[in-house]
Amino acid sequence: MIRIFESAGRPFVAFVEEFGRILLLLISATAWLFRPPFRFRVVLKQMEFVGVKSITVVLITGAFTGMVLALQTYHGFRMFGGEGLVGSTLTLAITRELGPVFTALMVTGRAGSAMAAEIGTMKVTEQIDALYTMSVSPVQFLIMPRIVAGILMLPVLTVISDFIGIVGGYFVGVKLLNINSGIFMARIVEIVDLDDIFNGLIKSACFGLILALVGCYKGFYTTGGAEGVGKATTQSVVYASVAILISDYFLTSVMFR
Amino acid sequence: MSKLSVEAKVGFFVVIGILLLGYMSMKVGKFSFKRGSGQDISVFFDSASGLSKDVPVEIAGVEVGRVRKISLKNGKALVTLRINPDIKLRKDVKAAMRTRGILGDKYVELIPGSLAAPLIKAGEQIVQAAPVTDMNTLMNILGEVAMNVKKLTKSLANVFAGEKGEASLRSIMDNTNEMVEALNRTVQANNKDFSAIIANFTSFSERLKDIGDANSDDIRDIVANMRAASQRMESLVAGINDITAKINEGKGSIGKLVNDKETIDSLNRSLAALQNITDKINRGEGTIGKLINDEETVDNMNFALAGINDYIKKQDTFRTYFDYRGEYLFDSEETKSYVSLRIQPREDKYYLLQVIDDPRGRETVKDTTRTIDGVTTTEHKVKVDRDELKFSAQIAKRYYDLGLRGGIFESTGGVGIDYYFFKDRLTLSLEAFDFDPDRNAHLKFKADFKPVNHIYISSGFDDFISDEGRESFFIGAGISFADEDIKTFLSDIPIPMN
Amino acid sequence: MIKLVKVSKSFKGQKVLDNLDLIVEPEKINIIIGRSGSGKSVLLKHIIGLIRPDSGQIFVDGIDITKINEKTFNEMRKKFGMLFQEAALFDSMTVGENVAFPIKEHRHLSQKKVDEIVNEKLIQVGLTNVAHKMPSELSGGMKKRVGLARAIALDPEIILFDEPTTGLDPIMCSAINNLIVQTQEHTKATCIVISHDIESTFKIAHKVAMLYHGKIIEEGIPGEVKVSGNPVVRQFIEGRQIEQSPKQK
Repeated sequence: MIRIFESAGRPFVAFVEEFGRILLLLISATAWLFRPPFRFRVVLKQMEFVGVKSITVVLITGAFTGMVLALQTYHGFRMFGGEGLVGSTLTLAITRELGPVFTALMVTGRAGSAMAAEIGTMKVTEQIDALYTMSVSPVQFLIMPRIVAGILMLPVLTVISDFIGIVGGYFVGVKLLNINSGIFMARIVEIVDLDDIFNGLIKSACFGLILALVGCYKGFYTTGGAEGVGKATTQSVVYASVAILISDYFLTSVMFR
Repeated sequence: MSKLSVEAKVGFFVVIGILLLGYMSMKVGKFSFKRGSGQDISVFFDSASGLSKDVPVEIAGVEVGRVRKISLKNGKALVTLRINPDIKLRKDVKAAMRTRGILGDKYVELIPGSLAAPLIKAGEQIVQAAPVTDMNTLMNILGEVAMNVKKLTKSLANVFAGEKGEASLRSIMDNTNEMVEALNRTVQANNKDFSAIIANFTSFSERLKDIGDANSDDIRDIVANMRAASQRMESLVAGINDITAKINEGKGSIGKLVNDKETIDSLNRSLAALQNITDKINRGEGTIGKLINDEETVDNMNFALAGINDYIKKQDTFRTYFDYRGEYLFDSEETKSYVSLRIQPREDKYYLLQVIDDPRGRETVKDTTRTIDGVTTTEHKVKVDRDELKFSAQIAKRYYDLGLRGGIFESTGGVGIDYYFFKDRLTLSLEAFDFDPDRNAHLKFKADFKPVNHIYISSGFDDFISDEGRESFFIGAGISFADEDIKTFLSDIPIPMN
Repeated sequence: MIKLVKVSKSFKGQKVLDNLDLIVEPEKINIIIGRSGSGKSVLLKHIIGLIRPDSGQIFVDGIDITKINEKTFNEMRKKFGMLFQEAALFDSMTVGENVAFPIKEHRHLSQKKVDEIVNEKLIQVGLTNVAHKMPSELSGGMKKRVGLARAIALDPEIILFDEPTTGLDPIMCSAINNLIVQTQEHTKATCIVISHDIESTFKIAHKVAMLYHGKIIEEGIPGEVKVSGNPVVRQFIEGRQIEQSPKQK
């Protein structure tokens, strides 16, 4: 009888334990943010890695998201002659949801996994121990810069993704489907609010925190050589993606009431 | 691309992001960035059904403001409108609720009044325009009209149609017939009398002829008199002619009276009356009329008034701010102080003069290395001139939520970019200065948050790409007062009276 | 001066160090030998504080490092340099940056000065013209040299070597051994080497200690240990199979 409870409870306990460890890591990274030495260059390097180098993938995802949205909503709105609403609908969808979420998922796949792999490799090849022996905190040197870069860069990427998505939607809607460009833009201006964009950006900052934190956590607690690194990388992507989608629901329910 | 430094790449990237955000917020938030300013006017509506906060207020289809508040007062809806500051409204402007589009979005339309009415002031109330017939009322009225028409036609039908109608019509005809016959009979019966009357008339005209012949001289006199009178009339006309010519030349006091509205009116009337007498006067009326009624004159006057208004407004937005801020640097565990004077001639522009007490002062770094028996010792000397004050002098321009600064930053050349959030309560700034080829530029990022007026807290990273280990996280706080605040403050201090 | 007193450590119920006592000779090359998996690396990581013991005390210059907090420990660690088994060079940095890393972290020097020190240290370990290379471009032996250059970059008082000759060919082995001796003579540092390479141990050690089943079972100058009466030590030295197989880590 006890065994049943035990086996049922173990995954739960493991989950709680893991969650606790992630939070502790976050707290420690936050504490290190305010303690000298301040590693702005390292942060900047990570900002380049997370932000600048993700630009291609974000541009492509953003553009096609906007384009396909225009195509899909056009067919729906045409049924009652509301083609003019395509622009505002896709802009709302992109700024509120798709821009932040897709950007975060793409960056998770590209940068989050790389974080887990890089830190994981450093862990199994004793590079993290080496940092300790040189009196350098790996949390400050490796994890804090990645989290800061995630929080700062995701909103920037999202802005770019939002913009390119709307441009893509405009291209399909106005150039290919012959929606009047004036009406297309006017509806966007009329219906979309500044808050829609800003709330999307706040969300994306949260996603940036999640993907960086999960990637770093998985890498930092890697064991078992090269195989362990591979496992950590996969897990970091899966966990971060799920966490992003779940947190998206709660953030949305708080913001867009 | 590969030759760019990491700093440049990230900086470029972030700037692109901010520009896109700025562009989108300008597009989307078309009017919302001005939400803070403008004048409030209010209007009572019988019903504000379907109206909500922030819906547009339009004149001729152009958005000029937003609905700010809807409340209930004396059983009517009191709607407060916030009108953009550049819109001038007259006192007799009227407001109406309108519906747009198939989805039935409501908005408020303002119907401008006459140009002659005085300008409206903030906080004043305007009236509701005659309720526009919406579909419902229109249908109701049409229904009533149809009812009336129906009644009318029904009674008409009653009158003309049916036996009764026919009977009465026939009786009218009969009556007429009878009357004509009676007249006929009367004429025939009195034939004799008529002949006598005609004979009388003939004899009367003969007698009249006789009188005429006898008094033909008298009649000639009368004609002569009439001729003399008409000659006098002619000289009178000439006199008037003379006067009008003089008016035309601007002589006499009449010229001075031209500006008086009553004079103009009576003159107008006089001229209109005289128009038929002479062509000259006719021309004169045209000239004066032109002066008074010409559209261009009115426009010129209005333009001049607008210019004066602008000037007064400019005086109004001129502000001077005094500001103190302190920053605690975690790295050196010391406080850096700034005292600034900000002169703001317009809302979107200011000049900043600043004196800075930097605890780190100006640093000179010197390394001496000695190698004795393979052991290397390094002496690290830092010379600091702590007493030296730094100063800044910058010019700043603001575009919507984005501000750009340039000039002297802490005694070196530099540029800065600011982004304003939440009605300017939060400001994010990035400054770059001290461009020295031997070391990295001084970059500073800060976030200022102003929870209440006059006081703000600040946090950021100073010199964060320093290659001399001077990067530091900092927190700080400051107070800021405008000249007006100081005036108020001073006037609130009780002055002892002897 | 480094002294370990009754240090015990278990991993998942398995005792790796068992009431271990050890005195390290200052300014000498101390070599700890033992079979693979006997806990030598664990012992070394205790000394530099990467692992904390379950019980016991570890004194470095009279301070019990098991009692001090992380911040004090970070100060303490500046006295140490450590060469890891696989060198543990930072993959993302060039060789030069790797060696410069501890210098930049702990000393505020100009870039020019840092470069000078890096060059000096690389020459000291017999390397030239590698500063711009990435660690992945180097052979195992070269990596270890760079690792050593990084370990001695801050002129530490104590240098730890984690199996410096493992995985190297015999020529490279003796080159590294020579390097250890040279470095020790040059810097007068206290060296602690863990190894299972008997031949080189007796060649370079000033003091040898043998770890077996979580305890030091023999210690002394190489001459003494060579003629030890302890059967386990004899078997290890002579390379014969020990009847009772050692516990796995």
